[in-house]
Amino acid sequence: MSEVGHEPLPVGEDEFRMIADSAPVAVWVTRLDRTRSFVNRAYVEFLGVSYDEALAFDWRRIIHPEDTARLLAESIAGEASMATFALEGRYRSAKGEWRWLHSTSSPRRDAQGRHIGFIGVAHDVTEAKLAELALRDSEAQLSAFIAQSTAGFAQVDLDGRFTLVNDRFCEIAGWSREELMAMRMLEITHPDDRGRNRPLFDRAVAIGEPYTHEKRYIRKDGGVVWVNNSVSVIRRPDGEPFGVLAVTIDVTDRREAEARLRESETRFRTIFEQANDFLITTTLDQVITSVNPAVAAALGYPEHEIVGATIGDFMAPDQLALAMEAFEQKVREGGSTRLTVTVRARDGRPLTWEINSQLTTDAEGKPIALHAIGRDVTEAKRAETHLRLLVDELNHRVKNTLAIVQGVARQSFKDATDPAIARAAFEGRLAALSEAHNLLTREHWGTVSMAQIIGDAVAPHGGKQDRFSLAGPDLPILPKTAISLALAIHELATNAVKHGALSVPEGRVAIRWARGLADGRARLSLVWEERDGPEVVTPTRRGFGTRMIERGLAAELGGQVTIEFRRAGLICTVDAPLPEGAE
Amino acid sequence: MSGYGALRVLVVEDEPVVAMCLEDILEALDCATVGPAGGLAEGLALAEREELGAAILDINLAGERSIPIAEALRARGVPFVFASGYGAVPEGFEEVPLVAKPYREADIDAALRAILG
Repeated sequence: MSEVGHEPLPVGEDEFRMIADSAPVAVWVTRLDRTRSFVNRAYVEFLGVSYDEALAFDWRRIIHPEDTARLLAESIAGEASMATFALEGRYRSAKGEWRWLHSTSSPRRDAQGRHIGFIGVAHDVTEAKLAELALRDSEAQLSAFIAQSTAGFAQVDLDGRFTLVNDRFCEIAGWSREELMAMRMLEITHPDDRGRNRPLFDRAVAIGEPYTHEKRYIRKDGGVVWVNNSVSVIRRPDGEPFGVLAVTIDVTDRREAEARLRESETRFRTIFEQANDFLITTTLDQVITSVNPAVAAALGYPEHEIVGATIGDFMAPDQLALAMEAFEQKVREGGSTRLTVTVRARDGRPLTWEINSQLTTDAEGKPIALHAIGRDVTEAKRAETHLRLLVDELNHRVKNTLAIVQGVARQSFKDATDPAIARAAFEGRLAALSEAHNLLTREHWGTVSMAQIIGDAVAPHGGKQDRFSLAGPDLPILPKTAISLALAIHELATNAVKHGALSVPEGRVAIRWARGLADGRARLSLVWEERDGPEVVTPTRRGFGTRMIERGLAAELGGQVTIEFRRAGLICTVDAPLPEGAE
Repeated sequence: MSGYGALRVLVVEDEPVVAMCLEDILEALDCATVGPAGGLAEGLALAEREELGAAILDINLAGERSIPIAEALRARGVPFVFASGYGAVPEGFEEVPLVAKPYREADIDAALRAILG
């Protein structure tokens, strides 16, 4: 434009004015004293005044207050520069609107090159300016949004190199912006997660598919942070991808909580699986929701056949009623109940279970389910019953033994003339009874050997000195029979020592027994034979001993027992069916 | 300790010594012992056949219970008492007195008086 001055235009002033007036921009010409020598139509129209008024118009009056100081300063500086300078600011138009005007002023010179004023051009740039300002606002907002977001933002190029990160991303990743800008995203990604990350990234770039995944970053301090990244491809206006944007959230706390939960779940699952006790959960409608392997093993059903069934499927109605009573109690009073119930195994066996149960409640304390811990007490109950039977039996035997002692005492003291002799006889009988009991106890009240019971009974009377000869098979006999036999042998031996063969040193007793057959049935024959003793005198009266032997033993054995007072020696013979236990 | 006038009393007791003791007690009470029977079959035979004024039954006879004898006695209208070392009278015989072992002469006397009215 400055060249315009060098060669005269081929137009006159009127033509120039016409051209200038038809231009859509404001044009003005000033002298050195800043008075205007020319303004065009657009200039006049903007101000909305007459041509003359426009020439003299003080435009400082219509500058936006916020722009006044700046524009004046720039104007002075621009004029002083003696070069073309531009100004941009807001001016009030004739319609009262603020319009952004962009003006350019150039120094004006005469043919000799002397500075004679300025030529200025201004055009309305309001629309462009507002658009620019709006864009700037929106960028500022976006950048504030990114900078202040609690999410991290990271942009990487197609090689995975960081190109943009916000503060939060740096904070999460644990590296400074400068450090990140020199790295690839894969470098801060945990080695174990790279293999998983790479194909997702490649695929996103190749086909533009966004993805979300969780992975670990290794921080500069070596710490590990779990992040959730939402990744999308960024494209140029022509559609060509130039990078990806990752929105990153720190999920370390959540991952750690999950890991702790998983660990705790595993721990309790192990206890559940391995417990010997029964662990059962049910709904409030008694539908079984879980059982541990101990339950399945005890009942003999596979777990999946138990889960879904109701507890009533494993109990008789009366037992279910017990369980329901306990359930109602828990609903009513809370707490837990302890219950002993009989359940049925698959093979029909009744099992006695002791079950502790409690209701599971929700956060408001409302019951939502039931959990129970039980154990099998079948064996314990059986042992308890057995023990009770044993005690009952023991009591019975004690009473029976006392009755025998009473009988022995009564017989011993009945006709006694000499209390000392009676007492000695009684004590001897008690000792024989006691000895027989020793043997029975040793054999746990099972069968005992006949040889043993006879041997023990004669031992206190010289059995050890070879004065007795015992010969016979080792027949097993029942405890009750053994006691009667022991008492009978004791009576015979006592009599032999007192009056019979054993009252002299050379006397002997032979005891022989045998098992025989009569009418096809097994029989026992036993002989007690005394010899080499003094001449036998038949006693005038028969005492307890004789009675015990002839009647007691006979009754016990259900056979015949006879005592013969032969002159050469006493003979006692037993002929009876073979005692029970000896067959 | 008398006044039974040689009452015939059946004794069913499987323990010989105890049976002898009971015989002596009955003798002292001026009763005549029938038996003693040591087993169920023998006792039942006596209960059905003998002329009896009363009976004393041991409940447990070497593993068998003397209930059939009790039933036979009840059928004949013979009053009886049970004798036992332990437990209660068998079901259905709740009105029958039980003499606990070991028993004294006075116990047998009282029991006999009770059943004879």
